[in-house]
Amino acid sequence: MSCTLGEVKNRADLIIYWGGNPAECHPRHFTKYTIMQKGKYVPNGRKGRTMVLVDIRETPSAKAADLFLQVRPAKDFETLTILRALIKGRRVDAAAVAETGLTLEQLEDLAHRMKTCRFGVLFFGMGLSMTRGKHMNSAAALTLAAELNAFTKFVTMPMRGHGNVTGADVVMRYTTAYPFGVSLSRGYPRFNPGEFSTIDLLVRGDVDATLVLGADPGATMPQPAIDHLARTPTIVLDPKVTHSSRLARVHITTAATGITAPGTVYRMDEVPLPLRPPLSGPYPSDEDVLKRIVAAVKRKPAWEPAGV
Amino acid sequence: MNLTVVKNATCTFCGCVCDDIELHADGERITETKGACILGQAWFKNHTAERLYPDALIDGREATVDEAVEAAAEFLHAADMPLVYGLSNVTCEAQRQAVYLAELIGGVIDSHTSL
Amino acid sequence: MLRITGGKVYDPANNINGEVRDVCISGGRVVAAVEDARTIDATGMVVFPGGVDVHTHVAGAALNFARGLIPEQHRQAAPIIHSRLRRAGLGGSTPTTFATGYLYAGMGWTTVNEAAVPILSAKHTHEELHDTPIVDKTCCVLMANNEILLDLMEAGEWERARHVMAWQVWAAKAYGVKAVNPGGVAAWKWGKDAKQLSDPIAGYSNITPGQIVAGLARLVDELKLPHPLHLHCNNLGAPGNVTTTLETMKTLEGNRAHLAHLQYHAYGGDDWSNISSASTTLADAFNACPNLTTDAGAVLFGNTVTVTADGPWQHLLYQLTGKKWANLDVENETGCGVVPYAYKPGSPANAVQWAVGLELLLLITDPWRVFLTTDHPNGAAFWRYPEVIRLLMDLDFRREQLKAIPDKVLKRIILPELTRQYTLSEIAVITSAGPARALGLSHKGHLGVGADADVAVYNESADVAHMFSYPRYVIKGGEVVIEEGELRNVVEGRGFVVKPAYDETVEGYLRPLFQQHYTMSFDNYPVAPERVHGLQVVEPAP
Repeated sequence: MSCTLGEVKNRADLIIYWGGNPAECHPRHFTKYTIMQKGKYVPNGRKGRTMVLVDIRETPSAKAADLFLQVRPAKDFETLTILRALIKGRRVDAAAVAETGLTLEQLEDLAHRMKTCRFGVLFFGMGLSMTRGKHMNSAAALTLAAELNAFTKFVTMPMRGHGNVTGADVVMRYTTAYPFGVSLSRGYPRFNPGEFSTIDLLVRGDVDATLVLGADPGATMPQPAIDHLARTPTIVLDPKVTHSSRLARVHITTAATGITAPGTVYRMDEVPLPLRPPLSGPYPSDEDVLKRIVAAVKRKPAWEPAGV
Repeated sequence: MNLTVVKNATCTFCGCVCDDIELHADGERITETKGACILGQAWFKNHTAERLYPDALIDGREATVDEAVEAAAEFLHAADMPLVYGLSNVTCEAQRQAVYLAELIGGVIDSHTSL
Repeated sequence: MLRITGGKVYDPANNINGEVRDVCISGGRVVAAVEDARTIDATGMVVFPGGVDVHTHVAGAALNFARGLIPEQHRQAAPIIHSRLRRAGLGGSTPTTFATGYLYAGMGWTTVNEAAVPILSAKHTHEELHDTPIVDKTCCVLMANNEILLDLMEAGEWERARHVMAWQVWAAKAYGVKAVNPGGVAAWKWGKDAKQLSDPIAGYSNITPGQIVAGLARLVDELKLPHPLHLHCNNLGAPGNVTTTLETMKTLEGNRAHLAHLQYHAYGGDDWSNISSASTTLADAFNACPNLTTDAGAVLFGNTVTVTADGPWQHLLYQLTGKKWANLDVENETGCGVVPYAYKPGSPANAVQWAVGLELLLLITDPWRVFLTTDHPNGAAFWRYPEVIRLLMDLDFRREQLKAIPDKVLKRIILPELTRQYTLSEIAVITSAGPARALGLSHKGHLGVGADADVAVYNESADVAHMFSYPRYVIKGGEVVIEEGELRNVVEGRGFVVKPAYDETVEGYLRPLFQQHYTMSFDNYPVAPERVHGLQVVEPAP
């Protein structure tokens, strides 16, 4: 139950942001894709749309909203589930409602708006998908949106963060069938979040060499993971010498994506876009360096998957 | 100095990936970012075509890219359970090569999404 | 250079039916004779032109969306293990890109037509096709719910619509034009559908699905595209939908069309409790329409995932099954829905679907107009084609399979009465010669001098499912890729793209419209030619 951003621009009369702060994190989301645009079927632009912000605190995005609902921290899953019940006309427990920090009237009003809009969209940010409940919260948001389609047109979309993380999902899915956390140690793709997720691998000390590109785990990861990166050979490709570069055995400076390096990136709604770099710099692209590492590995004795 | 004007340039800083930016560049740095937001401006102006960093470092010492590529291949080939991680701010073309590399070395590949 | 000698050659396009003769190859083409060539002894084997899949979903945003939805199916998928020659991957109902190339070639298929490409994400489709090795590729761009075109039809501006269509085909680097549930997907943008040809379309006041069908087919013919309008009719999957299909055939008014996955459009009855086969009625009508071709869209029992631009149908399927559902609407152009699905012989509706796919293949008399597909992955994964071939060629096996069908369903299908068995020559027509001709690929689907040297060599065997699953040799563009049943060489495939003539000033019309309704820059919208790997441009005569 998702769509590309142009559908929101052209049709949405109810726009909900949940656990995200686009005013600061995705500054042009409002003006380029959502509330401020005049759309094909929303000729009055901002006047023709209602924006609701659901978050645990009043961020600068609240100023743009018609309605701000302050939910209690770590109560997103409960709130989404109550909304699912209200939409189906089920009774909800008063004590459960009280825990969310919202009143029944507020929740009923939101459920009513969701059911009666012409085209609704729920954008959810890391405040929903990365806090207590994590993927359970995302699943609840997806289910809520799916169920609303029995009443009206309703879609949902995660507010993907930095750069081309969407592209990584896309490329891994078509090459390995899985979006992230893929082990090729048996010669074919296996997926097991928790077993093959980076922080778990590093904290447990499961890996014995790491190539880092397009990320700076040395600045952002928990200390035990950083310690393991420093303890084992780490290779960093980055346009700058980063925190990770300083603990790495090998650093290679690469061209900056979209500034000195060409290629393709994906928008949060999986629309591919070409890059038009305005500068030509002294460093090779990540793609080029990776090709050279691939060629160097290929010159070494072939690794064969066990049992083949 | 040659002024380059690039229309419909794409900003990769946040997930919006706006592709309607007009960039002016003087050959060494980006001087104007028409249409970019405050985050996009900072991103475009934070990188230049200058040589501000060594081509490569091995154990903190300057090295050539060829030497660093060989060293990287040696470490990854020797490892029993190597990891390829990150993939956020790189192109899909680089991501494709990263998957191939992970496959060749029998490792794990993972992105920011797993965090 | 190669000489394949001693094999029984099935080359129906050149009226060769099992004759023992040499096939000579040089420079990637079939030639009259070669000297000092490597010789492949094909004694006891049959020699076919490489398979051509006229309708499959192997690459693109929708299929990749499906891959993300079914990790539990991937765990049971066949692993493709990395080697120096072969990239790692998974088979299953949505094989990974590299696996797709190996699996198609591994059964003797050398050309595939990806049947549903939105322009907005066509760059992505071509990225995936780039990583799909060995096979040659074409693709069809989705148009029957493209709002710029619908707005022009609504205004009666047909002349301009033709230029826009031509521009869009080239912008997407497509080969043909696809229509999916005309008007229905546009209506789905408001949560509605358009099931019948005269239904109103939400958001529009004049045009109807029938007018879109007739109009698009006419424009495709006026542009002289090598492949006719590739049409997924309205009202897919619904009991009693055969009336819509029959009406669609009339609406086409003699224009060419390829009716995709006809199985899903051939039902009688009026609800899920009494759904029945209407393949006799449909096949009779189809036999009388020489302007049409079709593919079976056959169903095989088992787990799969359904992927289609038909968003409203997928929402219904989600409500019927209560399974996972994903939907992705593409601004101004199309949509897509994904629902994992298991076809079970004990389910009356599924049993009818299984029978209807085979019935149509058996009842349509001209094999040059009906082709083998499973609408991969919707009816079954493409690598199960050999099972369908066995069902067509082996009456005893078919009767054996019918035993799993519930008694109450047997009265609602006609498969038990059909005794036709396909010959090898007919199999060569429905898997290669016919689809190549329907796609207008004159250098494919046959082994005459000048043809692309795409050849499959199979052991002749009574167990045809096994025979077609494991070719002894597969030659692609003159290179031996499969030898003794093993992958020996991986070559790159080519991408065939059509560039129809259009008035360049149409860009001046499109640009402001685009900036108003889309969210990307017009200049970033078309696929650059260098993104199509092995690009081969076909320019229809003006």
